[in-house]
Amino acid sequence: MSDAQEAFRVLVVDDDPDMGAYLGLLLTKEGMRADIVADGDSAMMRVMTDPPDLILLDVMMPGLTGFEICERLKSEETTALIPIVLVTGLEDTESRVRGIESGADDFLSKPVKREELVARVKTLRRLHETRKELESRRLAAEVERKEAIRKTFSRYISPRLADRIIGDAGKGDDIFTKAHRSNVVALFADLRGFTRLTDQTEVGRVVEMLNEYFSILSEAAYRHEATIFNMAGDALLVGFNVPFPQANPAERAYLCAQEMLTRFAPVARQWEKEQGLGTGVGIGICMGEAVIGNVGSPHYMSYTIIGNPVNSAARLMQLAQPYEVLICDRVYDELRNIVPKEQVEPRGDVTLRGRAQPIKVYNLKVPLPAHPVPEA
Amino acid sequence: MPAINYTAVVAKDLEDLIPVFIKNRSKEIDSLRAALGAGDFDQLKALGHRMKGVGNSYGFAPISDFGKTIEDSAKSADKAAIGGCIDAYVDYLAKVQIVYE
Repeated sequence: MSDAQEAFRVLVVDDDPDMGAYLGLLLTKEGMRADIVADGDSAMMRVMTDPPDLILLDVMMPGLTGFEICERLKSEETTALIPIVLVTGLEDTESRVRGIESGADDFLSKPVKREELVARVKTLRRLHETRKELESRRLAAEVERKEAIRKTFSRYISPRLADRIIGDAGKGDDIFTKAHRSNVVALFADLRGFTRLTDQTEVGRVVEMLNEYFSILSEAAYRHEATIFNMAGDALLVGFNVPFPQANPAERAYLCAQEMLTRFAPVARQWEKEQGLGTGVGIGICMGEAVIGNVGSPHYMSYTIIGNPVNSAARLMQLAQPYEVLICDRVYDELRNIVPKEQVEPRGDVTLRGRAQPIKVYNLKVPLPAHPVPEA
Repeated sequence: MPAINYTAVVAKDLEDLIPVFIKNRSKEIDSLRAALGAGDFDQLKALGHRMKGVGNSYGFAPISDFGKTIEDSAKSADKAAIGGCIDAYVDYLAKVQIVYE
């Protein structure tokens, strides 16, 4: 007897104990495990607690009829795939149609002929095992596909965000592989005073310091569900409302910038103690429509955002003094009711390089503990 | 109903189930009589339907035939036909010889 046969479990539901015992005996002789219950409620309970591989279901029973049980099980996602054979003495067409409509996979007429029972159950067992095999292969392929997405894009997004995207009904593929336009909030951050620091610091320590700085910024980005698009030199580009829409992306960007500055300040203080030179982070935030997609050559592809909000955020970052968060007017419109007025410092109309029209710029003053400021 | 065959040829592997099966038939007779006395044709129909299914499965073809007669007669509320059938059923159970093959 093979393992598959031993493992195959049939639930026999019949209110006639003699019929239940008869069906159970025939199935057991075929190497299957038969569990016998006498009514619909017990059947439902058994299916939920110990799902069988197949159900032989009497139709005419007190309480829930076989048709009703069949309908319920076939309408539940978790039980819909369990094959159900209606075992019935009802021979009229109406009953057969009712059985088909309830979702039954097969019928067996009473009195039950053992050869017919065995043949039908064996056929359904084969189908069920094939279906299970296909399902497990499909699941394995799905896990592999999700893992590939996770691996590919884990450098851009937090594991939590990756899980959400992957869990979003398999849309993860499209989000990352197809270029699209979207309204985004771009945040650029840059480490000020670091070039001077690198000149007088041992190279191994420089790399450690940069890693510490990027760790702080990327952790803040992940915490606010940003997508990290670029780390170059000592600058970081992250996006919000991308790769899929987020609630309050401007507010997320503001809170992210605030966290970047407050978490970096004590590190900067420590560095100053060590090296005697101050550092600071300058941030620019802008929002607008951008193109999102994989850009590059077959040898090197990079998932990135391109467009005015990105360019403007970069320009604002360049204008920002250490520990300043410069934002464009569109971002300010979104934050007007969130940021306390005393923390907003209008900087007037500014014409950014590459832009024809000036934009209104604001500095969001982030309350910070005493921190070292690099020399201008 | 065709002539009653009082020899039931039962599969050898069902032998262990037969004592309980026969015992349940006696209980069934009691239930049939009670339902007939009460004029409960729904119950008679259900009992007849059940007999129809189980009899032949075990190798007792006449039980299926009695069941069909009781089920059909219950649909037309034919007390006399049901009563006659129950008597024939009792007689069958008293005389039946079981051969295991």
